[in-house]
Amino acid sequence: MLMEVKSQIKVMFLSIKYNIMKQMTNKVTFITNILFMILNNASFILQWIILFNIKDEIGGYTFKEVILLWGMAASTFGLSHIMFYKAFHMSDLIINGKLDMFLVQPKNVLINIITSDTSVSAIGDLLYGYICLAIYGITFKNIILFSLFTITGAIVITAFVCICSSTSFWITKGEILADSLSSLVIHIATYPGGIFKDTIKVLLYTIIPVGVSSYLGVDLILAFNIKGFIYIMVFTIIITILAFLVFNKGLKKYSSSNLMSSRI
Amino acid sequence: MRKYLYIYKATLIENLQYISNIILGMISFFVTIFVFLNLWDYMYADSSELINGYNINQMVWYVLIGEILWYGTRNKTLTNEISNDIKSGNIAYNINKPYNYVFYIISKHFGEITIKFITFILIGSVIGRIFVGKIIGFSLVSIPFIMIVVLLGVFINSIIRIAISVISFWIEDSNPFHWVYDKFILIFGTIFPIEMFPKILQSAMIFSPIFVVNYGPAKLIINFTFEKFIQIFIVQIIYIVILVLLLLLLYNKGVRKLNVNGG
Repeated sequence: MLMEVKSQIKVMFLSIKYNIMKQMTNKVTFITNILFMILNNASFILQWIILFNIKDEIGGYTFKEVILLWGMAASTFGLSHIMFYKAFHMSDLIINGKLDMFLVQPKNVLINIITSDTSVSAIGDLLYGYICLAIYGITFKNIILFSLFTITGAIVITAFVCICSSTSFWITKGEILADSLSSLVIHIATYPGGIFKDTIKVLLYTIIPVGVSSYLGVDLILAFNIKGFIYIMVFTIIITILAFLVFNKGLKKYSSSNLMSSRI
Repeated sequence: MRKYLYIYKATLIENLQYISNIILGMISFFVTIFVFLNLWDYMYADSSELINGYNINQMVWYVLIGEILWYGTRNKTLTNEISNDIKSGNIAYNINKPYNYVFYIISKHFGEITIKFITFILIGSVIGRIFVGKIIGFSLVSIPFIMIVVLLGVFINSIIRIAISVISFWIEDSNPFHWVYDKFILIFGTIFPIEMFPKILQSAMIFSPIFVVNYGPAKLIINFTFEKFIQIFIVQIIYIVILVLLLLLLYNKGVRKLNVNGG
């Protein structure tokens, strides 16, 4: 069992490595994508400068804390798009019956699918996350917690998107639903949770897991508490298991389009 | 001209079949509006407060109109399709046809966004009405003038986007340039009115595309005056003349650089 997990992880990282190497064949495009994504994210600092000119505190956060929140949102989004980019486009494979090439491979189907592509610009997002951390203040504790919650956040976002995408096994409009819900998570994650009313907050920590992928991680960096830490870990495990269960259940309903395709 | 009208009509009819997709695709729009409603509700201590000359009614309507213009006219045809056509060499099939590729894309784009844009306007207006009430001082007489300015704004935005996509003739991926333009319009013209920025920046923004694409039309809707309409209209016409010439120049230069290998 342990050997199998180890082998699966090895294949996963090899797949991601080759994805990145493939993208690096055009170096100008590769570097432009990363740099412009950092610039793209940085432009939002202006938005917060304007808002903090009106009020000193927004949703319980100071300017530096909002930058940290932005950093967490960018790094979780970045890591999920580097490691599991195909999860965000899985609906298309399901609807158009293009899963065959993954089904015949001797490894876990879901992991094989989601690690089969990488978004280069997401490297810019991940780097930007750490730039934000540097602006907030780098300490050994902050780096460790930030990195850990980036990993759990990326897993939570990916699992959530996998669940949404898996609805495509049952409904034909699943692609639009998955697209919209993933952009929902990403959009909300860049605004402090404090601006939302209490009932919405409950949703953000459960059904739409922005609270777990971003807000709680930032709160724990600001003031660590063991209850919050356990909640993140348990939630990450549960949503990951749920993603596999929903996908595997849906896979039984999959019908192929007999499309010839291969992974290069 | 008739062939472009025909392309517009054919695309429009084709898109009539996808209204349910448009409605489902509105989830992102609802979320954005929901976030901004919460944000501005939090920022305004009470409804009578003014922030840089805007009360909460005007601010929410400004953001709402900006987002309608943003989401309602977004289209992958202007970004991904042109880039992909150039990258894949598919453009070779299009430039041989008896139409100008640039005008073909514009007609197709307008055919694709017409239904979507109208749906966004209708649903956006209902949301605004429910949350902050009607636009204070809005008169039905101003609608024809507003329509002219909004349509010209959408047209200018389309030309700028096509011009950015045409960069793919020189560098493979024009997406990073689209991101920069997106954020430029989004931050300086959509989520805040120009008045929120320092005075020095404000005067520079008046001469930028933000004024003709987003700020001008949105400001005209929430605070209509005939003088403002004339001012925006004249600047839009100047922009269109310059941008169309620039786009055709860029496109013709790019096509001469095109090198397609078989297929």
